[in-house]
Amino acid sequence: MTAVARSWGRLTLAGKILFTVIPILLLLTAGLVLVVVLFGKPVVDFLAANLWLVRFLVAATAVLLMSVPTAFLIIYMEMKVIALMNLRIGPDRVGPFGSLLSVVHGLKVLMKEDFSPTGSDRLVFTLAPVVVYMSAVMSLLVLPFAPGLFGADINIGLLYLFAVGGLTVVGLLMAGWSSFNKYSLLGGLRSAAQVVSYEIPLTLSVVGLLILTGTMSLNQISLNQAGWFTNWYVFQQPLGALIFFIAATAEGNRTPFDLTEADSEIVAGFATEYSGMRFGFFFFAEYVNVFIISGLFVALFLGGWNAPIAWPEAWAIHLTFDPGSTGMGLLFALLLIPPILILALAAPFYVGRSSLPWWQALIIGFVLFNVLAIVVVGGWAFISLDWVAGLLWFLGKTYVFVFTFVWMRGTLPRVRIDQLMGFAWKWLLPASLLNLFVTALAVIVMNPR
Amino acid sequence: MTAAPPHGQREAPSDDPRVQLDEAAGVFEPVPPYPPRTEREAEFYTLGDGEMFINMGPQHPSTHGVLRIVLKLDGEVVVDLDPVLGYLHRGVEKLCENADYHHSIAYLDPLEYISSLFCEWPGVLAFEKLLDVQVPRRAEYIRVLSTELNRILSHSMFIGWMALDLGGLTPILYGLIERDEIAEMLAALTGQRLLYNYLRIGGVNGDLNHEFMSRLGDWMSRATTQIEANLGLLNENEIFVRRMRGLGVMDRETAFRMAVTGPSLRATGVPLDFRRAHPYSVFPELEFDIPTRDEGDCLARYLVRIDEIKQSLRIIDQCIHNMPDGPVMAKLPRLLRPRPGRAYAAVEGPRGQYAAYVVSDGTDQPFRMRIHDPSFVHLQSVGVLMPGHLIADAMAVMASLDPIMGGVDK
Repeated sequence: MTAVARSWGRLTLAGKILFTVIPILLLLTAGLVLVVVLFGKPVVDFLAANLWLVRFLVAATAVLLMSVPTAFLIIYMEMKVIALMNLRIGPDRVGPFGSLLSVVHGLKVLMKEDFSPTGSDRLVFTLAPVVVYMSAVMSLLVLPFAPGLFGADINIGLLYLFAVGGLTVVGLLMAGWSSFNKYSLLGGLRSAAQVVSYEIPLTLSVVGLLILTGTMSLNQISLNQAGWFTNWYVFQQPLGALIFFIAATAEGNRTPFDLTEADSEIVAGFATEYSGMRFGFFFFAEYVNVFIISGLFVALFLGGWNAPIAWPEAWAIHLTFDPGSTGMGLLFALLLIPPILILALAAPFYVGRSSLPWWQALIIGFVLFNVLAIVVVGGWAFISLDWVAGLLWFLGKTYVFVFTFVWMRGTLPRVRIDQLMGFAWKWLLPASLLNLFVTALAVIVMNPR
Repeated sequence: MTAAPPHGQREAPSDDPRVQLDEAAGVFEPVPPYPPRTEREAEFYTLGDGEMFINMGPQHPSTHGVLRIVLKLDGEVVVDLDPVLGYLHRGVEKLCENADYHHSIAYLDPLEYISSLFCEWPGVLAFEKLLDVQVPRRAEYIRVLSTELNRILSHSMFIGWMALDLGGLTPILYGLIERDEIAEMLAALTGQRLLYNYLRIGGVNGDLNHEFMSRLGDWMSRATTQIEANLGLLNENEIFVRRMRGLGVMDRETAFRMAVTGPSLRATGVPLDFRRAHPYSVFPELEFDIPTRDEGDCLARYLVRIDEIKQSLRIIDQCIHNMPDGPVMAKLPRLLRPRPGRAYAAVEGPRGQYAAYVVSDGTDQPFRMRIHDPSFVHLQSVGVLMPGHLIADAMAVMASLDPIMGGVDK
């Protein structure tokens, strides 16, 4: 016993984790194999009968998995873009142009001590980041990324989004309350006041849009905006779009409305006492929220996945290439084309520049081949697969807005809490009511029953 | 023989009230660990209905160093405050009294590390008055030139800090660009980037050199446009202007009562500038205006400083054009023994009046050295300006007075 204990004591932290995780994983795998062997047939039958369940599980897993890289990307983007705006260099050490820095940040928060202060309400303190993060991830579920590419097409998708997005404030309030710190408490209360106030103009600003669309399904709203970019609702609802943008900025706690974590006033607001992965969850959730409000704006007002121009049918390129039809030729092509192309691409560098060693020429050839392959395969997918083109358009538009949020963060100072509330109740709310009223009037005048 | 405590374990903190959780109240309160000593302390540390204490600093991100303020809040509104000083106290005055006259100049430098030359100058001026030294004209011009550069450095950092305390991330880095160029320039002249230790009794340490002049000419050719471009980010920013206007209004009487000087006083409409009011050095020969504003709020204090940058550029221009030839040091003995007596000198710095009062007893060390620092004096007006404002504005009010903790704690 003592020998085992001594060996255990000598292990590093990583070793301890591996020694516990690996047996558990092995057991789980064995269990899964056993389940498949014993009950394989009924399980498959059950899943085949309930495809919605499979779809939901796959979508939920995909959304959960994509939230972290999305956050990493936006964090890196924010660091780099603000650095360039500040005339700094920004991250440039880890990975090409420092692009892996946010990944390293993620690993860092994972390995830090999980600390909770004396006097804190331990349970609520632990649950708060989970609530915040889950509300962000659950919002991702209904965003229409591309035709047919969404977690769920709920007919009250927009309502669901607002409801789930409103859960964030519960998490922030929990964090502020349980931290046993007055700065945290002030941050939590500020977020409650702010989010509750801005929820109203945010919701009212899209009611005009809902009158026009007649549906709350984000998928359907995106479909309605197909065709030329003049069909986008931003041209029919400019005021609504503006109010939505401002209110969504406040909902996402972004500059100039980042009062909940105003570092020059209340240290870090609700996150003051958080460290390690608990803080990491808050951090990721913030950036996932930025992605969500950008994506929501794009889906509602900027045509979602639709391209800004509608190609006339005569111009459309129909690439109906079915790789399966080539038979054994496909196998040979896959085996032979890459090495031949790499050699062909490397040859001019090796021949043309005699100072280059052969292996460096090969590396250049390999990289060029990869670029070529991505361009060819991507281009083929873009032309012949609807969802690839849609996804690219959606992500492109969304990241333009993410950039706008980062840009605002680099430019604007923070508003004061009374100015913030006054702006919501005195300006945004009447403006959104006006927008609703004018839209309703226009609809009645233009489409008399 | 008592066993030593195991490694890594220390004696539990006994009953130090500062680290004890107040079980009855269920909170940590930032009250002092002793019974109230004054009526004011007793009044302040008694909470009214719905009020709470919040301890801001000394590690708070926006207290400009190691200031600690205990705020009494009602919701987010500051009701009362109690600044706690002394976290950076070094005993500069006492150090000066134990060093000879030349050495004590080096102790004056780190008082306000962002405007070091202005901390040296009053001390040097007072020593010169004691010794009755005539400073060469070229040295006077070099002093004016270098200190006006230092004023621009300080003001450009102020603009950045002001924006940072209002939540703007970028202006501080634009301010740092300005600051870095001037710091490099002064480093070429004085040999140091931060604590210059450049002024000497009877002159300056070293004449103008080629690197300094080329850097200065390079910078002066684009300084105006560069500073204007940087300010565009703030001056035309609706959020910034709306937050600053009407914030922390100080009227003229309060300013006099609180002994406020410098830009903060000129923002209330009083054109008091020691360069004009009690002229020293070669300022009577130079042309410059005294910018004033009447509002007395944070925006006025900010704009007065911007106008001062422009006036400083004017002065630097004149200094370059009128720079006389000659020596930069008066002939003085190594060991200075002034006659017994006392001297006082004040200069107009970027924050206000920097002054020194020296008493000599005939030895080679000052008998008493008293340093008047504007940061310390201005910090007391925080007690008048902050109450009634929100926490966010309390920080902005403090930033607009631009205190440097090195000067406050001395």
